[in-house]
Amino acid sequence: MSAKVVVRDLRKHYDGVEAARGVSFDIEDGEIFGLIGPNGAGKTTTLECVIGLREPDSGSIEVCGIDARKRPLDVKQRIGAALQTTSLQDKITPREALTLFASFYREHAPAAELLDRFGLTSKADAHFDTLSGGQRQRLALALAFVNRPELVFLDEPTSALDAQSRRDLHAEILRMKADGHTVLLTTHYIGEAEALCDRVAVINKGTIVAGGATRELMGRSSALPTVFVVATSLLEPAALASIAGASDWFCEGRTARFHTTDTNRTIAQLVEILSARRIEITELHVQKASLEDVFLELTSPDATPPDPQ
Amino acid sequence: MDAFLHQFRVSLNLHFRNRMALIYSYLFPTIFLIAFWVLYRYDRVPLARHMGELLTVTALGGACFGLPTTMVSERERGVWRRYRLAPVRTGTLLASTVAARYVLLVLAGLLQVVLAMAIGMPLPNHPLDLWIAFTFVAFALLGLGLVIATLADNVPAVQALGQCIFLPMLIIGGVAVQLSSLPDWAQHVSAFFPGRYAVEAMQTAVTGQGLRVMGFSLLALLLIGLAGFVAGIRLFRWDAEQRFAQRSGKGWVAMALVAWAAVGLLAESRGRIGPIEIVPEYATPLSPPRTTIAAATSSSSSSVPSSTTTTVPPEPPAPEPPASAPPAPPPSTASSLRSTSTVPVKPSTEKEPKPKPAPEPATPSTSGPPPLLAEPTSWRAVTPAHIDEIVFPRLPSDSGVVSPIARLDEPIDPEVETDLEEVRTRLATWGPGQVADPVQRVRNVLYVAAVPDVFQVPLERYVPHVVFERLQADIPKDDLIKVLYWVATHPNGGDDSAVDDLRSAGLKVNGPSDIDQTRERVMLYALKLLGRLVGKIPQ
Repeated sequence: MSAKVVVRDLRKHYDGVEAARGVSFDIEDGEIFGLIGPNGAGKTTTLECVIGLREPDSGSIEVCGIDARKRPLDVKQRIGAALQTTSLQDKITPREALTLFASFYREHAPAAELLDRFGLTSKADAHFDTLSGGQRQRLALALAFVNRPELVFLDEPTSALDAQSRRDLHAEILRMKADGHTVLLTTHYIGEAEALCDRVAVINKGTIVAGGATRELMGRSSALPTVFVVATSLLEPAALASIAGASDWFCEGRTARFHTTDTNRTIAQLVEILSARRIEITELHVQKASLEDVFLELTSPDATPPDPQ
Repeated sequence: MDAFLHQFRVSLNLHFRNRMALIYSYLFPTIFLIAFWVLYRYDRVPLARHMGELLTVTALGGACFGLPTTMVSERERGVWRRYRLAPVRTGTLLASTVAARYVLLVLAGLLQVVLAMAIGMPLPNHPLDLWIAFTFVAFALLGLGLVIATLADNVPAVQALGQCIFLPMLIIGGVAVQLSSLPDWAQHVSAFFPGRYAVEAMQTAVTGQGLRVMGFSLLALLLIGLAGFVAGIRLFRWDAEQRFAQRSGKGWVAMALVAWAAVGLLAESRGRIGPIEIVPEYATPLSPPRTTIAAATSSSSSSVPSSTTTTVPPEPPAPEPPASAPPAPPPSTASSLRSTSTVPVKPSTEKEPKPKPAPEPATPSTSGPPPLLAEPTSWRAVTPAHIDEIVFPRLPSDSGVVSPIARLDEPIDPEVETDLEEVRTRLATWGPGQVADPVQRVRNVLYVAAVPDVFQVPLERYVPHVVFERLQADIPKDDLIKVLYWVATHPNGGDDSAVDDLRSAGLKVNGPSDIDQTRERVMLYALKLLGRLVGKIPQ
């Protein structure tokens, strides 16, 4: 795969704050790449430099093989972007907005096609100020696709959406990938990145602190697997304490949760002990280290920056 | 080009969907127009002399408030930030936004002109020139609007900045207050504001000689507009987060101001500080564009002829036809009065705009509806039917500023009463009030009421009663009715040297140098006294 985006040593500061301190990453063709980090980590600054909304202080940005700092208009012809919040004029309609933005590009999709794809046909002629939050976000996405982009940038696209709208948008993002688009997604919802992204880069305090395939990154975590159990009768902590490899117990009523260093052995012993007491297990889950665990390890105030590679 | 046209069309569509924008763009200018109409309702030709001012106010509102308010509010919402994600050039978006605003300004201006014409203003002398002048005005003020849009961080700041420019321009910039009414220092200040050049350029197209005399104004507007556009483009901000105070290149604002200063200094160096002379050009095909005394208005009360915006070379006063003289050809002033003046003669045909020369053999007007009655050939030929044509209710109120008359039961200040008694006594023997020609005699006595009105001295409300007494005592009622009618319909006729002899009539003032206004007041008092004589106005 060839790199669609190559960012090297990107630096940007304003108001006395160094928002990006030598950020470097690549995005491969056809992947969903997540830029994750806590609020204020530098995700949006980095993305805005890449898409031409901000002029970096230094560093290089190459998008679709084009030097984005020297030929920003050429880059903009080939990318689409949906910002965290997209606000248009109160009285503009989705159809007008799509037609207007289409006129800015050499190549563009018909407004009707985009309205249909993003479920806005029934609202095509409604004024922007009458659209719901979800409809506005879908319009923002439709605008990002108005030029049939090779590469789509989504800046925290679900941050202001309800659960249903968020689920719909996730489906749409996966469809983008299936259609062959490359996507850069910034988010502070770790679950979102875990569910959608092929690769992620964790950014904290303006620096990339870790990066790689999502599962690989989770494997790097030092966090232990967690076991959750729900039974038909009360669980006695004293009886469970003898299970080998278990630690960090939390037991309340018919529910217990603990970490384990040896999942197989721990589960076997747990079943044995409860069977002996004629206690039936109704739920049992094992949660391996999550991206959130990795994220918290990497971005906690006392975290030591690991090797980003 | 595609982007330009789409953005242009969307800008227009959005404007017409915004109720507040429509109110600001069209309702407010209409209110201004009505206000001007009320203020200047006694003008010979309604609103014609003020279209430059009206159109400038309209353009100022649209350019200095409308444009930046829209741009800044869109920037605050993030609309322009979204535009920036697209491969469209700043110049394209700005050009289409400004072009759309220009169209809106033209529509608002057109509405003003059409409304003004609906209430009596004639077609501007040079419509094409007016459009050209308006375009220059729009260019200058839209440039200014762009600068405001770059300076203001938010919409309230637009209002504050706009008012800082709008109000001074209105008051001392020669826009809402005529230059002729401003003190010298303010006239000098106004030379540094684009507003006065806007007024001059457009007024010249409406009532004057058009493009050929508006060169300096157009140059001034062009310079100011160019500087504004350059500064506005250089300082353009896509994003509300880019606060103006944090930006470099603030020198561009200074450049915009330098253009104002340069224009002002150029005007100073050319001695172009006082109001320019705009010659009314309502010429009829049958009569040369000789201008007569312009009807003064209640607001254009300047006593300095050189500082009135419609200064015209006064005609030498024509002698009144002697009472015994054979009937003279109908003086054209009569027809002009019946058809064009604000004297409320019915049918009201004020749309006919042609001021006629002072008494001379008449040239029948070929435009405007014909009068119902043949005009009397002399004061003796005035008939009750002529009197019936007068619509007395349209005269200015007796309690107003123009041609006031005190109620008979109104208490009078003792000091004023003493002065009034002095006038009453002296008027009985006042030379100009004794001349043989009854028309000139009545005219002279009416000057005694008219001049205090022009100067607005405390005596002004009471003198008309003394004058009325004097006239009734001196001239038989039937004759007085006819003579007053004649004087009212011939305000430009006769000799006006009596205004320089008013001190001997007991007044403490002599005539103002603006004889036009004085003659207008003579006309109004003649009508008011006539109305009282014939019972159309209660005593």
